[in-house]
Amino acid sequence: MKAIIIGAGLGGLLSAARLSKAGYEVEVYERLPITGGRFTNLNYKGFQLSSGAFHILPHGPSGPLAQFLNEIGANVEIVRSETTTVRVPLKKGIPDYGKGFKDISFSDFSTLLSHKDRLKIAFLIVSTRKNRPSGFTLQTWLRTQVKDEWLVKFADAFCGWALSLRSDEVPVEEIFEIIENMYRFGGPGVPIGGCKGVIDALESVIATYGGKIHTGTEVLKIFMEGGKAAGVLIGEEVHKADLIVSNLGHVATACLCEEALSGEKNSGYLQKLETLKPSAGIKICLAADEPLVGHTGVLLTPYAKRVNGIDEVTQVDPGLAPPGKHLTMSHQYVAPENVKNLEAEIELGLQDLKEIFPGKKYEVLLIQSYHDSWPVNRAASGTDPGNETPIPGLYVVGDGAKGRGGIEVEGVALGVTATMKKILG
Amino acid sequence: MKINENCVGCGQCASFCKKGAIEVKGKARVTDACVDCGICMLYCPVKAIEVPA
Ligand SMILES: Cc1cc2nc3c(=O)[nH]c(=O)nc-3n(C[C@H](O)[C@H](O)[C@H](O)COP(=O)(O)OP(=O)(O)OC[C@H]3O[C@@H](n4cnc5c(N)ncnc54)[C@H](O)[C@@H]3O)c2cc1C
Ligand code: SF4
Ligand code: SF4
Repeated sequence: MKAIIIGAGLGGLLSAARLSKAGYEVEVYERLPITGGRFTNLNYKGFQLSSGAFHILPHGPSGPLAQFLNEIGANVEIVRSETTTVRVPLKKGIPDYGKGFKDISFSDFSTLLSHKDRLKIAFLIVSTRKNRPSGFTLQTWLRTQVKDEWLVKFADAFCGWALSLRSDEVPVEEIFEIIENMYRFGGPGVPIGGCKGVIDALESVIATYGGKIHTGTEVLKIFMEGGKAAGVLIGEEVHKADLIVSNLGHVATACLCEEALSGEKNSGYLQKLETLKPSAGIKICLAADEPLVGHTGVLLTPYAKRVNGIDEVTQVDPGLAPPGKHLTMSHQYVAPENVKNLEAEIELGLQDLKEIFPGKKYEVLLIQSYHDSWPVNRAASGTDPGNETPIPGLYVVGDGAKGRGGIEVEGVALGVTATMKKILG
Repeated sequence: MKINENCVGCGQCASFCKKGAIEVKGKARVTDACVDCGICMLYCPVKAIEVPA
């Protein structure tokens, strides 16, 4: 059996590793000269920046991605973050960090609420595990439960950091699925070597089982035979396969299928694709001699104008920066209406960093923005159409086709796991 | 070399330019240090870089 994988992003490489291990003859085609897509390292002035991700696995060494890597024998060391902290103004009611701040632990968020609201939250934490709320956005649901804007700010910082969305864009069901996954799999972690540590390990598994990766090779078309996906076009050459896995998301994959999806019976699928919204974000990469965050986890910043959270990966792996230096990266959600004003959004982010780190010395290494066809996520959490397509033998993996409640690369791994179950049984 | 409106500002090109000739802030911008070697074009994930023939 032969499988062709289109795209060597994380989803493509996970699929390639699993299928080659199962005995498939696997060929991966990647348009760029490098593998890893939005999940690999970019060397910049000796710092291991990244092509997308913050070098973070949302559920660390015991999450779906780590489990998948373990099962296929990919050797990656993943270090669990010791803590997640939240920066808040010294006194409640102060709108920003200008007059000073303190850091509290993520799990202590309710200590900033009134006594009555704290009791309500304690009750909700227990009751919602049995009776999940549904049918609202997270923000609407929160407002019906507790009248305290701090909770909305906190939810926005978390959703902005973890999903690059605002709390009024996230279905409350999805957040509860994510919370359930936090109980099940635990909090975040950092792979040693950063994103590329994971990508290198996957490539080595693929090579061990005889799979091949062709970089600098763009797939131009997916073609069909007897109503089934049968191969791809590269340059002028046709390459046949029994199975095709696309790592490009549903929309770009559909474009490669051209007229094969034009019939009436596919109109529902095509309409669904039109509703998918990629999420946008800005990452600001800082270099510093002294630690800025000071721990191995995430610092959420709900009182900043734009920045949602910051991590300092050199706390876990000092090899990600030149000796003695720290690499600190901030993330900010970009609202759809602001994608056209990226420069102004970046300015607000840079001002935030000055307020978050007053008196600290750092250098802005690179400012990276992501939206539309190279986004933070191809489909907003909880909205994608799954891994199948209307074309038999053609599957979609990656962050445009995740599992429910799967944050970022954990969702990519859940989606690949589900796809492999369908293919391999 | 020219950067077209496809550019998302991801900075990938800047990390592969050996001349340090690309500045990025929402979009990439090429400086006078560019020698038109064409390397950056290969690394752009959204085909935003056009090198003159
Ligand atoms: C700023 C930012 C921060 C993030 N932070 C985190 C984080 O900290 N933790 C986390 O878990 N996730 C994070 N993410 C999300 C994570 O990076 C992505 O979800 C993940 O990398 C997506 O992988 P993918 O499998 O969808 O493949 P992609 O990375 O989209 O790869 C697809 C590949 O296909 C190739 N390709 C495209 N067209 C063709 C073609 N026609 N022929 C051949 N090849 C083609 C592309 O070049 C690319 O290499 C972040 C993303 C961004 C942008
Ligand atoms: S063409 Fe060459 S020198 Fe010019 S910006 Fe691109 S990589 Fe740098
Ligand atoms: S790699 Fe392409 S999209 Fe990214 S900044 Fe450079 S030109 Fe823009």
